[in-house]
Amino acid sequence: MTELRTLIINGESHAVAIQSGETLLDVLRDKLRLTGTKKGCDGGDCGACTVLIDGTPMNACLQLASTLEGRRITTIEGLAAGGQLTPLQRAFIDQGAVQCGFCTSGMILSSTALLEANGQPSAEEIKHALSGNLCRCTGYAAILRAVEQCTGKCDDCHRDKHDAHSDATTNGHLRAQARANGRDLSSCTNVGQPVARIDAADKVTGRATYTADIALPNMVYGSILMSPIAHGLIKRIDTSRARSLPGVLAVITGADVPQNTYGVSPARYDEEVLARAKVRHVGDPVAAVAAVDEATAQKALTLIDVEYEELPAVFDALEAVKPGAPLVHDRYERNINTHVAHNFGDVEAAFATSHHVREEVFTGNFVYQCPMEPQAAIAYWEHDGRLVLYSSTQAPHYVQYMLAHVFHMPLGQIRVIRPCVGGGFGVKAATNPLEVCSAVLSRMTGRPVKIVFSRSDTFHYYRGRHKQHMRFKLGVDAEGRITAFKSEIHLDGGAYSSFGVATAYYAGSMIPTLYKIPNYRYDGLRVMTNKPACGAMRGHGVPQPRFAFECLLNMVAEDLNIDPIEIRRRNAMTPNTTTVNGLEIGSCEFLATIDGVERDSHWNAKYGKLPRGRGIGVASGGFVSGAGYCIYRGQVQAQHEKGPEKFQKKSIFPHANAVIRVSEDGMAAFLMIGAAEIGQGSDTILVQIAAEAMGIPHTRMRMRSEDSDISPLDLGSYSSRVTLMAGNAVAAAGESVLDRLRPFAADLLGCAPDEVRARDGMMYSANDTTNTVDWAEVARQFFNEHGPLVGTGCYKPPDGLGGDYKGATVGTSPAYSFGTCCCEVSVDLETGKVHVDRFTDYHDCGTAINPQQVHGQVEGAIVMGAGEAIMEDVQFDATGHLLNPNLHGYLIMTIKDAPEIFSGIVDSYEPRGPYGAKEIGEGATLPVMGAVAHAIKNATGVWIKDLPITPEKILAALKAREAPQQSPPAYKEAVGRPAS
Amino acid sequence: MANRRHGVPDRKSENDMITCELHEPADLQEAAQYLRQYLDDSRLLAGGTDLLVDLKTARVEARHVISLHRITNLRTIENRGDLRIGALTTVAQLENSPRLTGAFTVLREAARQMASPQIRNSATVGGNIASAVPCADLPPVLGVLNASLTLWSPKGERQIPLTEFFSGPRATARREEEILTTIVVPQPPPRFGAAYARFSLRDGNSIAVASVAASLALDGHGAISACRLMLGAVAPIPKRAVQAEQSLAGLTLVHGINDAIALATQAAEPITDLRASADYRRALVGILTRRALTTAHQRAREATND
Ligand SMILES: Cc1cc2nc3c(=O)[nH]c(=O)nc-3n(C[C@H](O)[C@H](O)[C@H](O)COP(=O)(O)OP(=O)(O)OC[C@H]3O[C@@H](n4cnc5c(N)ncnc54)[C@H](O)[C@@H]3O)c2cc1C
Ligand code: FES
Ligand code: FES
Repeated sequence: MTELRTLIINGESHAVAIQSGETLLDVLRDKLRLTGTKKGCDGGDCGACTVLIDGTPMNACLQLASTLEGRRITTIEGLAAGGQLTPLQRAFIDQGAVQCGFCTSGMILSSTALLEANGQPSAEEIKHALSGNLCRCTGYAAILRAVEQCTGKCDDCHRDKHDAHSDATTNGHLRAQARANGRDLSSCTNVGQPVARIDAADKVTGRATYTADIALPNMVYGSILMSPIAHGLIKRIDTSRARSLPGVLAVITGADVPQNTYGVSPARYDEEVLARAKVRHVGDPVAAVAAVDEATAQKALTLIDVEYEELPAVFDALEAVKPGAPLVHDRYERNINTHVAHNFGDVEAAFATSHHVREEVFTGNFVYQCPMEPQAAIAYWEHDGRLVLYSSTQAPHYVQYMLAHVFHMPLGQIRVIRPCVGGGFGVKAATNPLEVCSAVLSRMTGRPVKIVFSRSDTFHYYRGRHKQHMRFKLGVDAEGRITAFKSEIHLDGGAYSSFGVATAYYAGSMIPTLYKIPNYRYDGLRVMTNKPACGAMRGHGVPQPRFAFECLLNMVAEDLNIDPIEIRRRNAMTPNTTTVNGLEIGSCEFLATIDGVERDSHWNAKYGKLPRGRGIGVASGGFVSGAGYCIYRGQVQAQHEKGPEKFQKKSIFPHANAVIRVSEDGMAAFLMIGAAEIGQGSDTILVQIAAEAMGIPHTRMRMRSEDSDISPLDLGSYSSRVTLMAGNAVAAAGESVLDRLRPFAADLLGCAPDEVRARDGMMYSANDTTNTVDWAEVARQFFNEHGPLVGTGCYKPPDGLGGDYKGATVGTSPAYSFGTCCCEVSVDLETGKVHVDRFTDYHDCGTAINPQQVHGQVEGAIVMGAGEAIMEDVQFDATGHLLNPNLHGYLIMTIKDAPEIFSGIVDSYEPRGPYGAKEIGEGATLPVMGAVAHAIKNATGVWIKDLPITPEKILAALKAREAPQQSPPAYKEAVGRPAS
Repeated sequence: MANRRHGVPDRKSENDMITCELHEPADLQEAAQYLRQYLDDSRLLAGGTDLLVDLKTARVEARHVISLHRITNLRTIENRGDLRIGALTTVAQLENSPRLTGAFTVLREAARQMASPQIRNSATVGGNIASAVPCADLPPVLGVLNASLTLWSPKGERQIPLTEFFSGPRATARREEEILTTIVVPQPPPRFGAAYARFSLRDGNSIAVASVAASLALDGHGAISACRLMLGAVAPIPKRAVQAEQSLAGLTLVHGINDAIALATQAAEPITDLRASADYRRALVGILTRRALTTAHQRAREATND
């Protein structure tokens, strides 16, 4: 039943034809095109759809639009009246409370209602009011500060703390660096500044456009049918009923799609566009439809009849490797997808002579990236046969590359557009079924096809963290210096390879970057099971082994009565060191991070001195600043029919490429680079770097990173590579612009071209800084003579990175980050419930190009990591069905759960990085889980080695300790030994 | 479970469109007409925070949705000694109501811990009761306050104690044409206190893994003259722990509490699900019973009551 109804939205009356069952959210987004209101779950759990109804925040996804006639509805678009931002919107920008922006509309509306009702809310009241708005990026700290900025009393302590960091990390910091490195960063006007994000204003007003917000003319809607069983043969698919449903335009199955498999690692393309003969997990794509609207597409899915012959399935990695276990793929014997066997030095000999050796078993959890924006894609074909794809992706180039492979097309015939992306954390790094199926359906229908994942779909697609089963053995001498470390890991990979081969290597390769480990052995098995495929998630493969290693190091420290901070100092990595597995560590201020947290967490006053039920713990971590090698070998090829190329120990082509074009009047510069802004802030820091290199204010920059037709290749946002790699390319492009201007400036200034300097929109002579000329004037002169002023730059990682053994490439990087954090918790000793109270974190990220964004990454990583440590877990039933594919069953921290965070940056300068910068986005995640586990041990006396550390596990361990006659609680699995 | 033939995993996709016919009665009479007309193919819609999720996930299938949003006279809280809460009062109204004083403040505490602000702004007290979800927060608290429910139908009104309303998970004593209109909470006796102890896995917006509501009245000597204990999320219905209640009669709390905890724990019939094991839930019942009784007792001692 459809009726014409009148809704009052943002003060205007709208007559809308509304169906009885339609929610306000769908009416706002699809009918009124007010797309600032977001759909993150469609179930009341995330708050992204928050609107005000008569001034009160409500979930638009749980309101029937028809029942709201006469009510005053306010959406984000209704706030900035006359284009004037509200103080709250301003505060969100000022405080860096916006990252991907997907939660922002809802956050601002909830906060607006709060401030309307109570102008002076306490921190507790703010948290209470925002507890129905989930944010995956910011860790809530900046959001809290933003609301506080508006309370008039403006809780200064919070802001001061941050300003103090900013001071320490901009002027003073840069001056210190300049002294230390003989480089002059103190004159920087863009780099090192806490510049507001360039996309923040669009995000606080709801203007920012995400893929699902886009409606192309004549567009239709797709939907994908997923397997309801974990393992089985497809005996028959009958699509006739679906095809005859009015409004259905196309139905496709495995028989109708390109037959070549795809994936991530070229040696293991094992994903089918749609399953042909066999399904391998609940959620495996089986068929897809295109229809005139979403409801029809969904209805059509229920009319596709699939007959399956169920096969025995295997869900446990330790079972799957046993002889006789069901095979997920015939090609992987014993379900072993990859076996890594690394052996450096002689661990057994070293253990034999070690003062102390401890061996422990740890188990990880299935953790889903859970960006607030579910994946979405829209595809259409040009009449000349070109494919255009809009996608919520963090690696547009790899999507383009993979589409070229699947459709047998030259790369240049494919245009990938990346609109605003609402967070990724790794789940949007691989090509997904939406991207491929929308293209297939569009080719069949001749119309643009849009497919959006539901929240449940995103969990069934997964590509989240591998669950790792880890047996670790650590040997030390009498002073606690590491003598040997041995690691045996089974990685549960799910049904497809995805990024998993790299994951298995990363799980081993990154351990020796933090501490000096003279003898190291790693045996890793990535195992296939009948669960959704695992992929790359923030910290790729490393967080669980890092958690386990840090726990074990702390256990050993306690065994030997050495302070856990001290044992880190004794083993800490030093600058310019090659690790036992051949990784080149350059800059390294790891020790400074240890000193920083020891001081600022008041470690010595707290460790071992807190009352029972309260605890403090420490752990460290670090990561690569970009992978040393591309995911595929060889060149960016025109055709995908060629065989594999031989590996060469160097980058064949530049991983990051930038073009800068200066406007004809010299007053604007357009930066083009395919680096993927996914919320982490890359657009902003790249603009800062480009402006610095050219010597103009960053406010004159425009960013064009979203379109592969415009922006040259950058490999994408993964492996924490953008700041260093894209940053170097952008700096080079900026310098090339400047170089082209030098002769003109030299003429005007009367000096030699190489004496020309540029800063903040002026050019001057190095010999006489009072002799200046306007930068824009010089650019105009150039244009008058030569036409377009364009500069280009590119970046290739150094040649020859890594050792000469199998898998030596994974873990290589131009530079490494380091960090340490202390965590404080309170534990309810009766129920086992943990509250994470406080974090103190120091990081060596090289130069902080934008300190506000560095703190934002740290705060977000801490809250994500702390949630992973104590509550996040994708669970399955005995038949491989997900028990919690939604945001009420899969819990991520709310603002009420989030700890207070103190984030500090140590002085550091990386010669290989742009202006000395390294990375922060992934490295900041790594110390977190170990610190939480240690703090819980410190509070309760029990180590929980099985993630997540739930109240139930803590209580069981406490009970077991009280009754020592009983055996300790059996952890779910014991780790078997990998066959080697 | 999964609809195997149609093949969408476990139908919890939550983006399914709702296809229904919407009816918007102006008063109870009209609502009752629709109810009679469409019987079990219809559902009443109050705040919609349960029903719309259930319709989207196809847990509930109904072609006719009868929205109560035009009925405005059931949205008030009156405190004239006894408390009368209109069924369409929102949980947020409850959380913020200055009329809930004395022993009734426990209702504000429970409301405050429920769901999220957005949900509370929409969710109704009547809906929280009528949906009869075992982990609902208000039924245990209303139960220990001896609340009764007014069920209205064109044939007349009947009054039933809240504790007799629930017959199973999502099943109640409500007859098809009946509408819950009012929740009546009697004026508590002197020296009365009530408390609610709840455990959930996250501090914001997560449902109870186990909860216990307790109330007790003290005689002039400090002994317990009456006690009520209700358990949430650990049985098919919000469950009274009758034996535990009885065991406390005539005793001071210190003397009776351990037995009461043991009996309350026995009364629990928890299941294992993704949030917790049955054993852990049982352990929680013991801990929460102690906490709820202790706080209720404290409050009873402090209550001056007029
Ligand atoms: C994200 C989220 C979090 C939640 N968290 C919690 C929580 O922490 N604790 C908790 O207890 N609940 C929670 N809920 C559940 C829900 O919000 C509450 O149960 C709410 O009180 C239901 O009220 P409603 O008005 O929205 O009910 P509706 O959804 O409108 O109705 C629920 C059911 O009751 C029936 N009904 C409603 N009113 C009447 C009436 N007057 N007479 C007869 N039948 C009626 C309807 O027909 C329907 O079957 C949560 C829900 C969501 C979506
Ligand atoms: S979309 Fe409405 S709460 Fe998530
Ligand atoms: S900024 Fe909050 S979800 Fe990304």
